Amino acid sequence: MAGGTIWKGHIHFGGANVPVKLHTAVREERIQFHLLHRRDHAKLRQQMICAYEKKLVPIEAQAKGLEVEEGKYIIVDPEELERTAPEGTRVIEVHEFVKAEEIDPIFLDRVYYLEPDAPAKGYNELVGALREIGVDGICTWTMRKRSYLGALETDGKILRLNTLRYADEVISVKSLELQKIPVSEKELKIGSDLINQLTGPFQPEQFENEHQKKLRHLIEKKARGEEIAILRPRRLKPTESDKLLQTLEASLKKVA
Amino acid sequence: MKSHNPNLSASKSSSGREPEMIPQGIWSGTISFSLVAIPVQLVKAVDPGRVSFRMLHRDDYSPLQRRMFCPEEERIVAPDEIVKGYEIGPGKYIVMTDEELESVTPERSRTIEIIEFIDMKDVDPIYYEHPYYLVPLKGGEKAYRLLVEVLHRTNKAGLAKFVLAEREYLVAVESREGALALITLHYSEEILPDQDILPKGGKIETEEKSRMKNVIKKMMADFRPEKYADERREKILGLLKKKIKEKALVEAPEIGEEQGEGPADLIAALEESMRKVKKNR
Repeated sequence: MAGGTIWKGHIHFGGANVPVKLHTAVREERIQFHLLHRRDHAKLRQQMICAYEKKLVPIEAQAKGLEVEEGKYIIVDPEELERTAPEGTRVIEVHEFVKAEEIDPIFLDRVYYLEPDAPAKGYNELVGALREIGVDGICTWTMRKRSYLGALETDGKILRLNTLRYADEVISVKSLELQKIPVSEKELKIGSDLINQLTGPFQPEQFENEHQKKLRHLIEKKARGEEIAILRPRRLKPTESDKLLQTLEASLKKVA
Repeated sequence: MKSHNPNLSASKSSSGREPEMIPQGIWSGTISFSLVAIPVQLVKAVDPGRVSFRMLHRDDYSPLQRRMFCPEEERIVAPDEIVKGYEIGPGKYIVMTDEELESVTPERSRTIEIIEFIDMKDVDPIYYEHPYYLVPLKGGEKAYRLLVEVLHRTNKAGLAKFVLAEREYLVAVESREGALALITLHYSEEILPDQDILPKGGKIETEEKSRMKNVIKKMMADFRPEKYADERREKILGLLKKKIKEKALVEAPEIGEEQGEGPADLIAALEESMRKVKKNR
């Protein structure tokens, strides 16, 4: 089942108003560990201490500051921050529509399912319209005192809202300062052939979190008092640049 | 909504960001496909653009540090006294060492092994979790460049699994503007079914649908996310500028010999640091 309703509102664009309810679409599961004191296995708590006085500082005595220059801060009170919160609205305002394939995946953040809300109108029509033209709606809304940017999309059956990252949150490739290294046409050709040979359909259901299962087994084993074998990770030997062509040829031979 | 953010980075910059620096490595190892192995480092590809405040002590404005505290002995515990425990019953734990945890899937903790290649168009965006970049380490530059180029040429992405911080990720490695981007994907069992929210009665009013299609066609544009700014952050920055003007500055005890340079310069400094952040993205 989809997660419970977390927000209600309506989609608005050019005279259309579609009432919807937001649901979580993804639930992550992971094994949780607690931090314990080695000596007595007491569960540890996180505490803030003053770097100067080296003593515990309770929440009431904590303040938020922005460091403007070394050791100098502007203090911002919670009330002041509260006042910067966007006004809550109940509208997912669609500003424009873009070809779905134009959206750079690096911007995609989190998906929510949209359920039609009463009075049910326009929902199925909007699913059909988006699907037939192959577009997503770029929209903004506010929720939980934050403003969001998102892509209104459909999988053909229901409407979904995919939150998008703001453009200045994406780190540019330029900042990685990658070197331009020449690669020969022959290496590129063999490399491409190799990739095409190894291409298959995307079948996500084939993959499960095996690590999680093994970890569970390991914990159970230890709980029974059994010895755990320690295995060391090994690093693969890097392919040397002058052996690249040779390695690609050997790879292709192996898969062909 | 962002609280889920699987920010794998262990160290978060505490105060101002350092936009000029190459992003810090989160992990290093090898990416392999078939017989080719490339030494790489994982770095972040996105940086939540929130104003990074520092927690301070209200009494003396010195920075606060996060420490682990033992409630039994009522004292701060040093890092080497801390162990990881899995709770098997109330207050009962199985302690796991880092070596034991690394032994779960050792073959995946230092290697991103591409098992197959896929067409990214086949991947429903609901699977996307978090993006990173891979950068080559010494000796891997040429093979890295080859993988970037052939992924770009074939328009494919490599599918792999690897383990980071006790968690196994399914990832897609693709070519992006001359670099390798690694995107963690959700497992299909993490995607919640949507049958129960399907609209009841699939009737479509064709007239309304064509009206919508006409409106949509009039509202078509190119994808340009830079048109939209985080209004909340702009407001916070506005608030900070105002406070600098009011000279609402405090000093931590460690430093004390210098006077503030005056409000105008501080605003310039703040603007400069924001500009650098923007420019670098």
